[in-house]
Amino acid sequence: MNSETLNTLDSYSKNKYKYGFVTDIDNEKPKKGLNEDTIKFISLKKNEPDWMLDWRLKAYSKWKKMKEPKWANLSFPEIDYQDIYYYSAPKGFEKKPKDLSEVDPKLIETYNKLGIPLEEQKVLAGVAVDVVFDSVSVATTYKGELEKLGIIFCSIGEAIQKHPDLIKKYLGSVIPAGDHSFSALNSAVFTDGSFVYIPEGVKCPMELSTYFRINAENTGQFERTLIIADKGSYVSYLEGCTAPKRDDNQLHAANVELIALEDAEIKYSTVQNWYPGDEDGKGGIYNFVTKRGLCAGKNSKISWTQVETGSAITWKYPSCILKGDNSIGEFYSVAITNNYQQADTGTKMTHIGKNTKSKIISKGISLGKSQNTYRGEVSFLRKADKARNYTQCDSLLVGNQCGAHTVPYIDSKNNTAVIEHEASTSKINEDQLYYCRQRGLSHEEAVSLIVNGFCKQVLQELPMEFAVEAQKLVSISLEGSVG
Amino acid sequence: MNIQDNYQKNRKNIFFSENKDIETHREKLINIFENDRFDKKNNESLKNINLKNFIDFNYKYLIPEETSVINNTHENSYSIVSVNGQCSTFKDDKIEITKILDEDYNDFSKNNTIEKNDHFVNLNSLFLNSGFKIVIKRNNKIKIKISNIVTDDDLTIFQKNNIICQEGSSLSLIEEYENKNNSTSNILNVIKLEKHSQLNHFLIQDNSSNHNLIITSHSSCKKDSTYTQKVYNFSEGYVRNFHYSELIETNSEADLQGIFFLKDNNTSNNKTFVKHLAEDCKSNQVYKGILNDRAKATYFSNTHVDQVAQKTEGYQLSKGILLSDSASYFSKPELKIYADDVKCSHGSTIGPIDENAIFYLRSRGMSKIAATKILISSFINEELSSIDNEQMSEIIQKKLVRYLSKVK
Repeated sequence: MNSETLNTLDSYSKNKYKYGFVTDIDNEKPKKGLNEDTIKFISLKKNEPDWMLDWRLKAYSKWKKMKEPKWANLSFPEIDYQDIYYYSAPKGFEKKPKDLSEVDPKLIETYNKLGIPLEEQKVLAGVAVDVVFDSVSVATTYKGELEKLGIIFCSIGEAIQKHPDLIKKYLGSVIPAGDHSFSALNSAVFTDGSFVYIPEGVKCPMELSTYFRINAENTGQFERTLIIADKGSYVSYLEGCTAPKRDDNQLHAANVELIALEDAEIKYSTVQNWYPGDEDGKGGIYNFVTKRGLCAGKNSKISWTQVETGSAITWKYPSCILKGDNSIGEFYSVAITNNYQQADTGTKMTHIGKNTKSKIISKGISLGKSQNTYRGEVSFLRKADKARNYTQCDSLLVGNQCGAHTVPYIDSKNNTAVIEHEASTSKINEDQLYYCRQRGLSHEEAVSLIVNGFCKQVLQELPMEFAVEAQKLVSISLEGSVG
Repeated sequence: MNIQDNYQKNRKNIFFSENKDIETHREKLINIFENDRFDKKNNESLKNINLKNFIDFNYKYLIPEETSVINNTHENSYSIVSVNGQCSTFKDDKIEITKILDEDYNDFSKNNTIEKNDHFVNLNSLFLNSGFKIVIKRNNKIKIKISNIVTDDDLTIFQKNNIICQEGSSLSLIEEYENKNNSTSNILNVIKLEKHSQLNHFLIQDNSSNHNLIITSHSSCKKDSTYTQKVYNFSEGYVRNFHYSELIETNSEADLQGIFFLKDNNTSNNKTFVKHLAEDCKSNQVYKGILNDRAKATYFSNTHVDQVAQKTEGYQLSKGILLSDSASYFSKPELKIYADDVKCSHGSTIGPIDENAIFYLRSRGMSKIAATKILISSFINEELSSIDNEQMSEIIQKKLVRYLSKVK
């Protein structure tokens, strides 16, 4: 426990939710509710070609026939899809600013409060930021440098205009619009998100990063991210989120698709710190995210790392389809729930190719009155010869009113594949606690230290920039429920 | 024929069909069937089952001509032959065997612990046509062996047994299911353990390929009682082993273990569920499976720890060996924990026999088949060597040798 963590804890306990502010900008919205006109409005606003509108409308017609998936161990009031704005863009943003000086100063201020000053970010060690403020991409930095290498890193809206071939080929190829109701909803109304294409043989020299922010009240944010790593390429992508404090529940249904071709590697890291609702469970973000990666080529690798501390409801299963021979899928997760938060998260590893390997490390920590569920599926199909999986999911309970659940699904149809799964649930070890207290740490510090140690296996998978932030987040999330 | 018509037509032969309470309960069950229609998509426990055999069946039941024999072979040792699920009444100062009564039925149907959508339990309640009740009197130490015999082809047995171990009693119960005829048995055992009692329950299942066995047990343990169940499934026909256990008072223990050996096109569905409802209880769920040819198996295990059940220890282990490339195994080990001072874990592995181990044995001059057989035996050795009953141990060994002789 260093003094920095203590200070952070201190300041957070005073300020409650630091990022709970609202930027006062006029929002241009269509009417509430979801129908074909809303979709046409979005498509028109984004100046999209006809094929894209058709694609959205097809997804919408599928969504109309679908029901929400019910497997998760979550309880929440029914979502009224007609009471949500599906598009919100700050006025005057149809034309994109050329550089930072053209960006609304209020927005810049917002980011400064969040601790990501763009001006500094440019100078900071190799991070290119594609900032999403509500639904329109504001500014993309480091573009020039990436362009030299042939890397495309832009908003998905821009990609639809400039790279229709790639979009037509890959959008919806990993998560079909009709996969389930949230993916269909996203396909119909997605407004912005990132698009990354790494050409053959290129190793992306910096961490690509997007900061998402939900700002306008009642606006569900429907991100769509598509990352394609061509043969022999490498990319590491960071996603981090904070959201302002609101009482109304806000819906978030993002889709993230990753495609790794032969010998390519994608590393996707997330720190999710959205508004979890207050101590009484009021408000907070509903987070229904579909993330799926396809290891299409031989020797490809996809690695998911997530730190989930926010959202009233987290419904998220970053998955890997291991289609190419020798491909590798990894999933590292820390999920912390406090107060009345509910999380049902995990992964799905589908082994199709020969010699495919996957590894799952999941750490769940429940505090207060929260419910934390790990739900994961590992399946070996007939042809997955010599496939290998190792799964470890550990849960830690703090307090006697929370719940920790583990629900793995293990399916093997191949007799050369080997699967190992282990899980444990326990409370914080009294001996460890005693040892720390004896050496002068307060109860809260000791718990924070032990929990950080519990998560270390996952946190060390994060890129440097995130690892520090994540450790702070872990400590902050424990605040108030220990003792 | 649908379930409702089937029931109406055969009402006369079904237990308690004159009792109004039970009749209303059964109407509810029929409604559940009508609404759900055995929806496989939303009910994992129906995975791999050929449902047609169980929905579209011809109800047939024969009251056995010869009554079953109860032999008090040695002191404190009884042997029972139950014919078509029936058993004659018997009473001495240690045990009492009677027919089941309306109140036993009601007692169970009002208990909500078994999931509502377990269709096979509901079918059992609906078509109930046999069963008996065994009471072990206080502070007695008893051994019982029950052979379950089905006399004719095409019979559908729906049997409900109540086993009650009174305070301080100890029972070692061996149940054998070895039937060669084309029939279906759907058996529900309701087991109650009073304070300080103990039950060692062995189930040996070895039916031919045309006999379906559906066996469900529901045990509840009071203070300081221990329930141990060991299932050995050598059947060539379909077997469903669903075992629920509730630890309702402190310091009780449930240990549910099973081994299954499958080959050809056989399938087996297995489930264990332990509910911790009191402090200081322990549970253990261990299932091991060996699957050859095109065999399929599922195993669901579940530990549920209630908010009050502090100091719980709950362990689960599931291991599967696939001997052929067309066999498949699905396992879902669940933990649902609402208390914080617990030690719970589960482990699950599925895979082939370790190649290095085979290599080691072959390098010492053993043939591949011999090496495979040795490794299968050692895989389940822990379970076999823990059998403290010599007679049982011999029976199991013989059946194992028979299974291994078919392994190539």
